[in-house]
Amino acid sequence: MTAITVELNGVKVNDDVEPRQSLADFLRDRCGLTATHLGCEHGACGACTVVVDGLATRSCLTLAVMADGRAVSTLEGLRADPLMTLLRRHFHESHALQCGFCTPGMLITARDILQRYVHPNAELVRHELSGQICRCTGYANIVKAIVAAGQDIPHEPPAPEPAPEA
Amino acid sequence: MKSAPFDYLRPKTVAEASVALGRRGANTAAIAGGQSLMPMLGLRVALIDLLVDISRLDDLKLVTETLDSLWLGALTTHAAIEDGKVPDLFNGLLRRVAGQISYRAVRNHGTIGGSVALADPSADWPCCLIALDATVRIAGRGGVRVERVADFIHDSYSTTLTTGDIIVGFDIPAPKAPLRWGFAKVARKSGAFAHSIAIATQAKDGAISVVLGAAGPRPRPMTATANQLTAPASSEEQVRAAITADFDAHFADLDAYQKRMHTANILRAVREMR
Amino acid sequence: MAVPSSSDSWIGASVLRKEDARHLLGHGAFIADLRMPGVQDVAFVRSDMAHAQVHRVLPPPGTAGKVFTLADIGPLNILEAGPELAAHRHSPYPALADDRVRYVGQPIVACMQPTRAQAEDLADLVELELEALPAVVDAVAAMRPGSPRVFDNWPDNAYIASAVHEGDPVSLGAAPVRLRRQFRMNRQATVSLECRGVLAYWDHRNDELVVHLSTQGGHVVRIGMAQALGLPENKVRIIAPDVGGGFGGKNRIMPEDIAVAAIAMKVGHPVRWIEDRREHLLASVHARDHFYDLTVSVAKDGTLLGLEGDIYIDAGAYSLWPTGSFMEASMASRNLTGPYRIKHLGLKTFTVATNKAPMGPYRGVARPGACFAIERLVDEVARELGREPFDLRRQNIVTAAELPFRTAAGMRLDTGDYVSSLDIARDMVDLPAIRARQAQGEPDGRAIGVGFAFYTEQSGHGTVEWVKRKSRVVPGYESANARMLPDGSVIIHVGTQNFGQGHETTFAQIAAHELHISPALISIRYGDTATSPFGFGSFGSRSIVFGGGAVARSCRMLIEKIQKIGAHLLQSDVASTTIEDGAVHGPNGSVGFAEIAYAANARQEHLPAGMEPLLDATGTYEPTETGGVFAYGTHAVVVAVEPDTGVVEILDYAVSEDCGTMINPMIVDGQVQGGIAQGIGTALYEEIPYDEIGQPLATTFADYMVPCAPEIPTVRMAHIVHPAQATEYGVKGLGEGGAIAPPAAIANAVSDAFRSIGASFNETPLTPRRVSEAVDRARRATATPTPGAPA
Repeated sequence: MTAITVELNGVKVNDDVEPRQSLADFLRDRCGLTATHLGCEHGACGACTVVVDGLATRSCLTLAVMADGRAVSTLEGLRADPLMTLLRRHFHESHALQCGFCTPGMLITARDILQRYVHPNAELVRHELSGQICRCTGYANIVKAIVAAGQDIPHEPPAPEPAPEA
Repeated sequence: MKSAPFDYLRPKTVAEASVALGRRGANTAAIAGGQSLMPMLGLRVALIDLLVDISRLDDLKLVTETLDSLWLGALTTHAAIEDGKVPDLFNGLLRRVAGQISYRAVRNHGTIGGSVALADPSADWPCCLIALDATVRIAGRGGVRVERVADFIHDSYSTTLTTGDIIVGFDIPAPKAPLRWGFAKVARKSGAFAHSIAIATQAKDGAISVVLGAAGPRPRPMTATANQLTAPASSEEQVRAAITADFDAHFADLDAYQKRMHTANILRAVREMR
Repeated sequence: MAVPSSSDSWIGASVLRKEDARHLLGHGAFIADLRMPGVQDVAFVRSDMAHAQVHRVLPPPGTAGKVFTLADIGPLNILEAGPELAAHRHSPYPALADDRVRYVGQPIVACMQPTRAQAEDLADLVELELEALPAVVDAVAAMRPGSPRVFDNWPDNAYIASAVHEGDPVSLGAAPVRLRRQFRMNRQATVSLECRGVLAYWDHRNDELVVHLSTQGGHVVRIGMAQALGLPENKVRIIAPDVGGGFGGKNRIMPEDIAVAAIAMKVGHPVRWIEDRREHLLASVHARDHFYDLTVSVAKDGTLLGLEGDIYIDAGAYSLWPTGSFMEASMASRNLTGPYRIKHLGLKTFTVATNKAPMGPYRGVARPGACFAIERLVDEVARELGREPFDLRRQNIVTAAELPFRTAAGMRLDTGDYVSSLDIARDMVDLPAIRARQAQGEPDGRAIGVGFAFYTEQSGHGTVEWVKRKSRVVPGYESANARMLPDGSVIIHVGTQNFGQGHETTFAQIAAHELHISPALISIRYGDTATSPFGFGSFGSRSIVFGGGAVARSCRMLIEKIQKIGAHLLQSDVASTTIEDGAVHGPNGSVGFAEIAYAANARQEHLPAGMEPLLDATGTYEPTETGGVFAYGTHAVVVAVEPDTGVVEILDYAVSEDCGTMINPMIVDGQVQGGIAQGIGTALYEEIPYDEIGQPLATTFADYMVPCAPEIPTVRMAHIVHPAQATEYGVKGLGEGGAIAPPAAIANAVSDAFRSIGASFNETPLTPRRVSEAVDRARRATATPTPGAPA
């Protein structure tokens, strides 16, 4: 067993984990956070996507011990997040989910897209969603929801590039 | 699909990591991003006693531009390259290659060093680094050595790495003038492993080089093709003949479809370059 | 038939889904999310050989009570699966292997530990002595004399062979045009994103076995589970939590389900098994795997006359309870005429056992294969005759005036306008514009093609149809129990199972329509045999027809009583009262449902003399025409194909479809788009190939290609609404339709791209290799090597 400290959804969590335990299993089985779903356990479906130190991360491809000292956010921890709230509304209004199993990973990924791109168009969103499997919707309404949510975010004109360091 | 048990160590230095990886009588593995290793552990096709976490070794994170080259530490992630967080000496080629590796969440953690160390025949970085004539710097029990990436990878999933070796990073020579390049890939779907990777580059003196990946155990320069393309006024028939000659020389196992497919992909990369 | 009026707008309203909130907050409760104190996990040791004698199982020492063989979990009863036909051979499928394994992935030993990882550790230590036997992996080869036998006591490898003989197929020999073609739709998995899973324990308080199961129909499972375990059904409770997709793959009793339940009865704590993706691809139900060898006969003017030939279904190593895969062959042959006036049929079908994973149902069941075969044939005939495929299709299709129409294979096509559907789809993709574009050629050297495919989707088929199919259970009705609680809110328990279709919303809309209240006051419940009346679950595009009808029936029983009580409270005649907005209105005033419901439940003294208390009604429903109602549609697709790599890109996808009255058009569109995505998977990406010794070659998503957002276009849709006459509101089921036509439409489009050189694409998925090789063969045959030149 290895001792780890993770800032999980804003709260420091100390635990002893088996080195072999994936971050996904740690979240689900040790912490009871079951929004993070496992659809393939080999990084191909995206259902287990969480945020680690600000980066969209496959929690099935990360060990819990490797998250030691990191900040981890799951869908549960983003309940009040303004961007996630916006995305939830558009997913609902666009009928962007059916069985709901892929939805947590889709939402985390959608949030990541909107954090990196201003007003992404459908083609960009599709490319960015590659690796997120939804078996029910055929993706069209997920793409629509993310594009629409992006349109709802007011954006300042981009700040001028900082001058290169001397 | 859960890993078998193993011990875990997170060394503080490269030397410490090298010692740990060289532990006698133990199956050890280094983990950086883990994006390829984790599925192999879960499927229990990789069975190890000790996992050495090198993901926090600052010495492997250095990214710097020298007078005539770019240094990329082994832990540089695909996403960092995709996002333009490393100097662009290659007219956008590295960003292009990085941006279509697997999926964004994988690119956030997957590293260039891990990709080259694994030497998956269908991986992008080996092909790209060979095309750019990069060298790899390796720290091991015998000290530090530098090899051309083209020599470092000698077969499918097989490199010169031995017990205790760690890739420190890559030195990629800068082109003398803005690089002209073409990059083309055939895959069953977005983010899937490539069935063909072709990179064509043209240096300042007009000499063209072409590297083909995912066509055999390791990427190979297509020298006859490159020579033919460099020659003035080559016809498409002549280029196709040269490609066939390269297949015979380097990728003798290709069947008719694969030859057709790789040829089309090489020509696409060449067209993009021009 | 109740006709929706404009004042009752819940029918036809795109109400946003009640299901969404919990999933959007991560509060869905799927089987692996259930937290049960003391639960232990099971990992299975599975066969790594396609066909073998099991000589010995050697568990590591000291693991008694943790390692289970068939002998350890028994005695169990073997369920007889397949149709109730003497000619259908029995393939006993034990929960854990006896002395024989018949496919790679068959469970042999169950290992139980506190965690799944530990269970896998234990499974790694179990030693097996297997002796390889000859395996058979191809259905056609399996029917040749001298083929290895999957079951020693069978005379050959056919579960059943059958024939369809209609009209006068002998006359076809003299037809002026006869084309013989072979079509293969390869094997694939169903790939619900949530894999299967089961969690079982003995509930001592209720003295019953509780089985949480990711299933499409718990009541039917209970029948089989009780039989297998030798328990009375009142000692077995099946609970389906949130189910993360099913698509047919969760509609059979699987060996793991029985094994886990049996272990739970031996040990004193909950036991669970959560299927992982490798197990899913290896040993969950497989689908498709059809081979057609057909000859079509045609008159000079293009009239399709008849079909002859053989259909092989590779059904794998065992029949799955209840119905096996017999329906694949019967539905393939019965749907083979499609919507065309084909008069003569001479078909033989073979449902064949092989050393591959057992076949189960998957969205579209058999019809994707049948549609692929007939719609490809139409295009092949058009090419032979030098006709525009669209025109030949239109010439032969049944017109609106001919409906209802009985096809040669005995299907009664009910309502609609098939010609309009074709024309609308043609106009959506602008066929003349594509022909003009093809004439110009593409600057990038790719070839452009357009393809059409028409499908019909039988739904709502009831007793007569299922009895004809010799089904072991006859899902000819559905049930609903509607209760109005004392405050006027409503809970409706249904026997169907929601796994993404939106029943909580659409059924609430139906109930709201019947009860004249808001859907917000109505809760739809399902998935627990302890609470809902018997029902058959959700499959075969049946839920809106049967489940929706049962909801309507039960609500009408409630509202009738509500009105009587209301009239009594208003001291009026029922005839002089009306119902609107959750109240009964009479000449002297109004009384709200809450007051009525409170009286009915809690203040019986206010009820009319002699009236029984409670507002609690159970209704069942079967449509008046039990041969089914037919949704239908035309898929039109435009592709660009790179001949040398064989890569296909979909440029445009349009659908004109008719599923009758739409309860919730938003959900209809979602079902169509989602079905098409799966159909595109079948057409271009998904396949589980086996090598010659029966090793499956796609057991992870690295090898099994599930299309993602970049691969799936946004489908443009047109809806034609011809209400069914035999169902409530005129609905027709539509869940499967989207998945039926894409392989045919896409293969027709790719063939169209290369029609000048006569290339045909008759095997799915159309992988880059298959496409490029077909082009290459055609180029060689035509000996005019102009790569990919469009006609």
